[in-house]
Amino acid sequence: MADCQETLNELDRFLDSELSPGDKEEIMGHLSVCTDCQGAFQFHAELREVVKKKALADELPDGFLDRLKNCFGDQILDDH
Amino acid sequence: MEARENFSADVMQYAPQLFSTAVRMTRNRADAEDLVQETYLKAWRAFDSYEQGTNLRAWLFRIMTNTYINKYNAKLRRPDETELDDVEELYLFRRMGAFDQSKMSASAEDQMFELFTDDEVKSAIEDLPESFRLPVLLSDVEGFSYKEISEMLDVPIGTVMSRLHRGRKTMHKRLYQYAKDRGLVNEALLVETDGASAPSQPE
Repeated sequence: MADCQETLNELDRFLDSELSPGDKEEIMGHLSVCTDCQGAFQFHAELREVVKKKALADELPDGFLDRLKNCFGDQILDDH
Repeated sequence: MEARENFSADVMQYAPQLFSTAVRMTRNRADAEDLVQETYLKAWRAFDSYEQGTNLRAWLFRIMTNTYINKYNAKLRRPDETELDDVEELYLFRRMGAFDQSKMSASAEDQMFELFTDDEVKSAIEDLPESFRLPVLLSDVEGFSYKEISEMLDVPIGTVMSRLHRGRKTMHKRLYQYAKDRGLVNEALLVETDGASAPSQPE
């Protein structure tokens, strides 16, 4: 089974869903018996969610969607 | 032509997330609007090269990322990545013991969400140099795979991974600094906690 250091080394790839099923199982095995690593993984998973939600919270400019829709159509032929 | 008619509706659903990511890329709302408009114009013109059934969202983000890189002459292939200071592993996690519980009102499950403001998270990303900012945006915010990001930025997967790792650590350090500036942190609490909270040497 993976030890703490090996497990923490895979933190990014685990959260990025980039591990093979076998490697993922290995990490899950360690997390099921190690509360320290589990805490670190849980923390980073939550932090990732928070960053994602907050970084996408931008109000659209007034009329933005209407202006965007004008990008589709014949008028683009007159552009430049 | 029916496919083209559906195209407008299909791509419009991604406008809000393209706009937010464009703001983080350009760090400016007006430039972001221009960038998204340019992206949609190019998408419309390149529609024939879009393969039906493939990932439309990834295709749009690839166009936007390329447009950004070309328009702003982004330097993504810099061989010497000395732009960021080295930050120790698990920087923020190891300092969570220093957050002053008495100054945080939210329930435990909301605490992480309440800890940082929207503006702090946005600034922490926008402050990253672009060779780190783009991978972090495309991964942490947009959830693209290493392979997709590698193709969008035209850098090897290993480079994507190392930039993500360093970019995230720097972003987390910045978030800690913001919390500290707002008086949420009492570093005296750190010495009272166990060894897991003590700063360790970077690898």
